[in-house]
Amino acid sequence: MRQWNTRKQMREERIAAGRGFATGKLVDPETLVDFLEAVLRPGDRVCLEGDNQKQADVLAKGLAAMDPARIHDLHMVQSGVVLPEHLDVFDSGIAKRLDFSYSGPQSARIARMLFGGKIELGAIHTYLELFARYFVDLTPQVALIAAVSADRHGNLYTGPNTEDTPTVVEATSFGSGLVIAQVGEIVDTLPRVDIPGDQVHFVLDAGRPFYVEPLFTRDPAAMTETQILTAMLAIKGLYQPYGVRRLNHGIGFNTAAIELLLPTYGEKLGLKGKICTHWALNPHPTLIPAIEAGWVEQVHCFGSEVGMEDYLAARPDIFFTGPDGSLRSNRAFSQTAGLYACDMFIGSTLQIDLAGHSSTITANRIAGFGGAPNMGSDARGRRHPSAPWLQAGAEADPDTAAPLRRGRKLVVQIGETFGEGNAPLFVEKLGALELAEKLDLDLAPIMVYADDTTHIVTEEGIANLLLCRNADEREQAIRGVAGFTEIGRGRDKAMVERLRERKIIQRPEDLGIDPLDANRNMLAARSIKDLMLASGGLYRPPSRFRNW
Amino acid sequence: MSSLHQSWYEAGARERIAALVDAGSFTEYVGPERRETSPHLGIFDLPAQFDDGIVVGAATVDGTPILIAAQEGRFMGGAFGEVHGAKLTGLLRAAKALNRDVVIAFDTGGVRLQEANAGEIAIAEIMRAVTEARIAGVRVVGLIGGRAGCYGGGGLIAGCCSTLIISEQGRISVTGPEVIETNKGVEEFDSRDRALVWRTMGGKHRTLIGGADLFVDDDAAAFRAAMLAALVRPAKAGSVRNASSVPFGRGERPGLDLATLDAEQDRLERRIARFGDAADATDIWRTLGIDDARAIPDMPSAAFATLAAQYRESADDAR
Repeated sequence: MRQWNTRKQMREERIAAGRGFATGKLVDPETLVDFLEAVLRPGDRVCLEGDNQKQADVLAKGLAAMDPARIHDLHMVQSGVVLPEHLDVFDSGIAKRLDFSYSGPQSARIARMLFGGKIELGAIHTYLELFARYFVDLTPQVALIAAVSADRHGNLYTGPNTEDTPTVVEATSFGSGLVIAQVGEIVDTLPRVDIPGDQVHFVLDAGRPFYVEPLFTRDPAAMTETQILTAMLAIKGLYQPYGVRRLNHGIGFNTAAIELLLPTYGEKLGLKGKICTHWALNPHPTLIPAIEAGWVEQVHCFGSEVGMEDYLAARPDIFFTGPDGSLRSNRAFSQTAGLYACDMFIGSTLQIDLAGHSSTITANRIAGFGGAPNMGSDARGRRHPSAPWLQAGAEADPDTAAPLRRGRKLVVQIGETFGEGNAPLFVEKLGALELAEKLDLDLAPIMVYADDTTHIVTEEGIANLLLCRNADEREQAIRGVAGFTEIGRGRDKAMVERLRERKIIQRPEDLGIDPLDANRNMLAARSIKDLMLASGGLYRPPSRFRNW
Repeated sequence: MSSLHQSWYEAGARERIAALVDAGSFTEYVGPERRETSPHLGIFDLPAQFDDGIVVGAATVDGTPILIAAQEGRFMGGAFGEVHGAKLTGLLRAAKALNRDVVIAFDTGGVRLQEANAGEIAIAEIMRAVTEARIAGVRVVGLIGGRAGCYGGGGLIAGCCSTLIISEQGRISVTGPEVIETNKGVEEFDSRDRALVWRTMGGKHRTLIGGADLFVDDDAAAFRAAMLAALVRPAKAGSVRNASSVPFGRGERPGLDLATLDAEQDRLERRIARFGDAADATDIWRTLGIDDARAIPDMPSAAFATLAAQYRESADDAR
């Protein structure tokens, strides 16, 4: 007769083994490594919590310090490969296989280790996609998570940076896996309960807060006039005509410039209340002036941002906050919001090819995807109408009768024709393709597929790919805004002029924008200090962004 | 808010001069049309600039003729090279000959590494020229608030000026944050901790310890107003306190002399005795009598200026 509770039995065995190093649920920090070796088994599927922001850093250190003779061949299933320890475990043999979504700071090392065969790669996912697999075929046996504080029952307060935790715990705990949390402190009463204690099996008092990276802070002082011009083009050439109210912004300087132009340039165009009212967005400090000027009605956040905590708590009409007053973020829900309830995604990228595929991956750097492919894709399951979505759908497919015509999400790539280090934004062949060949991958790691991309904005103008009727027009539309890159110089001038007549390409002058007006005096804040002042002193910038 | 004023921090050398002097009054010496470029940078395949990163010339302020120089912090970090230095030396010698006050808008990381010897010699020549001009009774007013700060030899030259005007963003030091970290270790000085850098070298701290005289907002108009005030201060304060309220007319300005230098030496010795044990700028501020020293960095300019006037170490006797 088959036993139907082997997973739960296995969990009980692990809990029993762990008790030797714990008092109740509280793990003795001195014996963390012994504890981990006791509860883990070779070959376990392990989620070590970490994304582009928060990190279970103390547990990561403990994991990397284990004896590979005892615990080896782990299968890591985690959002972010960010800390050195995340890769050290592969160097030492503690871990073998990896499924992940984001690897920004480790992009060069992870590429080297993949080429060297140190890591057996499952796949590179989007956040939402990896979360989905936690519930299907990548359910963790052990999850190592991070919280702000715990009480004696194991209830957790995850605070503004809740992010992935509820999703990871849901899959692991209800999937009969073991949940171990590192917390900054043990308290008698939590400000609020984010994770109920019966889903948490062990708690480690790390004695200090978990690490958080301020990834979404863009210093207005570093914004260029070219970036300001692209932002003006986007506002007047896209936000205004489509009436985009629900949207997500990427983390680049171009979109940060858009945020800072809303209270100035946007105001001048009379767009307040007509655009940018509802967001799926991390709490970007550069959004503060627009919020203070009354542009923004509501923002749901994937995570928090270092220094923004007090400001968020003071604006509960705008942000989602708990009974304790502080922000509650949730990456899975916010990604879903970005996918289904936003009409526009606009972000920067590193490379765009002639079809309109884009990628942030070069042959030597594998930064992963994070959430951008979810934001930057048309949700085929979407059924509710909205004006921008219907308008974009009509432009793409004017012939189908309206009741049967799908709308389209606006997926916009914005950037300067030459990016950092004078690297051209437009390329003949994506670095992602070379990488796929080198690693023998089934799929090239494309950030946003060409058939999802609707517009490209550069300082030379806007290309509307929805209006292109064939591959030739698409290619020339892209070449037509590619400036002096080789791709741009390879344009068919006559055809580009015809595309301009059909408004497939719009130049600054076609939109009534004088490039000389694009100067830094247009920004609602020109420094981090201006942002702090705009917040009434509630935003407390981290030390690295200050110049006072 | 910020769009209402012209940021000094963000302005270029020519924009700064335009903001300081009477409209249309500026005549440039050895301008870019002369193409006096660096003889050294080409060796390193580095681009030259036709003005070598400094603009010098004559102008009037409220009708009074002055000489003026502005460094371009966006070219080689405003660093001193051979031509760059020679233009400033020449201007200062002209100031002595013409008995005209000089305004220098600093924005520099110090000596250009690619022309180190020429640059170091230039610093020495400029310091000598500043001193000789001041002995002759000329005021040399330094303005500091650009992106590059005022570092290396620039910090030494600034120390020779008769009045220094600084904004919160401005920084004065000889050794820069990265160099300290490289030589003494990150435990001694974490150059990426920007709050620490500004707390140690920035405008507020320099004002509080008498390393700068007038504190202004990051606003070109505020720099101009402070410059006008500095140009009616005595070239050497001597025994006159609250000098700004006692305008000296042309020709009745006592120049730099031994007594002034002795006073400055005394002041620096007192400073070491008082603050030598302080591990952080906030300790110094507390010693000055400021109870809530940690609030200083976030304090708005006006509130800070009021507080500084009460607690700062004045250098009026020395300059």
